Amino acid sequence: MSAIGKPLGGRHLRYAYMDHWRVDTAQGQVSQYSSIERFDAFLKQIAGVGYEAIETFDFHLGALRDLFGSLEAARAHMQSRGIDRVLSLFHAVMYDARQSTPHVRATHDRMAGYAEYIMKSSAGLGVQNFIVMPAGLYFDVEPVTDDKIRACAELWNRIGKMTLEGYGVKTCCHHEFFCGIRSAEQLRKFYEWTDPRYVFLCLDTAQHVIAGVDPVDLFVQLRERVAGFHLKDTHHVDTQGDYRRKPDAEVMAPTTARWFYEMGTEGGLVDFPALYGAMKDTGWQGWVGIEHDKADVGGGNYPESTAVAAWTIRHVLRPIHD
Amino acid sequence: MTDTPAIRWACGTNQWKSGFTGFARIEQHERAMKVTSACGFDAIELTAGTGRWDPMGRPENIVLNFGSVAHFKLRLREWGIHQVSSCFLDPLQMSFEELHHGLDCTDPAQHAALLEQAAVFARFLAEVGAQVLVLRALPPHGRHGGLSAERQAAAAACWNAVGAMTASLGIRTALHLDALAPLRQADELAAWLDQLDPATVGLAMDTAELTMAGHDVVAWYRRFHARVNHIHLKDALAVDTLNEYQAPNAERALLLAGGQRGVPRWFGELGSGLVDWPGLMAALRDTRYAGWLVVESDKGPAPQAASMMQNAWTIRHELQPLLAG
Repeated sequence: MSAIGKPLGGRHLRYAYMDHWRVDTAQGQVSQYSSIERFDAFLKQIAGVGYEAIETFDFHLGALRDLFGSLEAARAHMQSRGIDRVLSLFHAVMYDARQSTPHVRATHDRMAGYAEYIMKSSAGLGVQNFIVMPAGLYFDVEPVTDDKIRACAELWNRIGKMTLEGYGVKTCCHHEFFCGIRSAEQLRKFYEWTDPRYVFLCLDTAQHVIAGVDPVDLFVQLRERVAGFHLKDTHHVDTQGDYRRKPDAEVMAPTTARWFYEMGTEGGLVDFPALYGAMKDTGWQGWVGIEHDKADVGGGNYPESTAVAAWTIRHVLRPIHD
Repeated sequence: MTDTPAIRWACGTNQWKSGFTGFARIEQHERAMKVTSACGFDAIELTAGTGRWDPMGRPENIVLNFGSVAHFKLRLREWGIHQVSSCFLDPLQMSFEELHHGLDCTDPAQHAALLEQAAVFARFLAEVGAQVLVLRALPPHGRHGGLSAERQAAAAACWNAVGAMTASLGIRTALHLDALAPLRQADELAAWLDQLDPATVGLAMDTAELTMAGHDVVAWYRRFHARVNHIHLKDALAVDTLNEYQAPNAERALLLAGGQRGVPRWFGELGSGLVDWPGLMAALRDTRYAGWLVVESDKGPAPQAASMMQNAWTIRHELQPLLAG
């Protein structure tokens, strides 16, 4: 009985669940933010396999307020279920050169204003990380020039300073394989041109593997900039240029119906033991996010993927680090 | 499926997509259209969407995913779908393309943008050979409460402008009243209809939404049939007896979560719920209804095909005989 419901974390690492959850109901698949009962069941299920925080999208803030009356009340409810906080907010902006996209400097004022609005309106949840895609979709940015990468760096330096100094929140860049800053060289330039005090990396293992970047090497190179992880796996490297194919690479690529899988999937390409070895060697400590978006594609489901990832942490990765 | 030259059957497409990134791949749409065709439908009502994950939800997306509107029609024909009847547009939904977070017809300041968005879809419908632009008629009660006279007048002015615009393109405007709409009392609705141009603006009657809102659909149709130019057919499994449509977050708390009574499902397959189908079919026959009957399966459980297949049986064996008298 002793392992039942115990937290996954140990002395150095604690675990958060990056939320893409959906619930199957008599009305089809719906968001768990549609009722207190569904949200409560979600909290209990992820806490039941040892996660201690959630990460979610900023467009869920309104629903949390509706459900609980305030974000403080929402966090109190989470804590009563063993979920300490909303560790990270993923900033969901559909980039568009007319008003909001990082490589277009004319849009920076608006983007900075919206980011600050999210900082103000998310108080009470215990947010520590503000996760952003640092550039637009690749086909909207290309050709990816140094000047465009510099423009992105300027924006996130500005926003990162605001979130950290104003709200104590770290701005973490999350490089989707289909975004404008994706290759090893683009990543090197971006982190060279951003301020290490204000701009951090949320290292998403699957996204980097799909983009042809070794996430373990990236961690070693940028370990002092890594403020968070999205640990998930993949079965595929994008060798066909899907990242630049319109209208969409993430779910509509003709070569690949599903890019993302949970840790522990058979045949996964991410070398998680090597990553944990590097984390141990460098003494990395903090919250680790576990993610598996689109887990239901092809007949999977979110609870099962979440539990399989938890098993992998407990039985494969914790013995390496923590 | 055909009955009389005046009535044509179509199938909704709004049951397939749940969430932004779901049901985005073309092969999923191909299977959905083949299911639709296998059920006997050769016409569909599209649902307006936004963003790159909705290949049939925006005219630009259709061009991007199919090459052109003409090629889109050819692909539909390959799948057994020969006609787009209509498209449902909810202007209150955000639009990445038009850069807004929802447009409110009761606010005159938003009318120009709403008219332009409606025009995007009306032009597409004309090009694809469809007949009807179906629009959410009013914001939910929870947004403004019961509508003031000023807001009612503003909404009417908005739809009259939209109706004139679509008419100029050969497209009918049909306003869809849902279960959350204000003006629930039939007399309130009648008074508002007096402000709408009957030549260019009609009503889309949704049998389940109206039943959920407490209406006897047959009586409602017999009263307003002269204004009804489009019909959505689905059954209702429960009525909002506690007037929870007035809650500010009724879209989630009532529709998705079932309200205080925890209703698991509001809408059902034809013949499974509260709608008086013999009475309605008789009323359609008596009034010589001429238009589309769009069969919907939205807000039902997976797999979506099951509901559609059951509806096909009910249409063939129960509704069509009733319509024929």
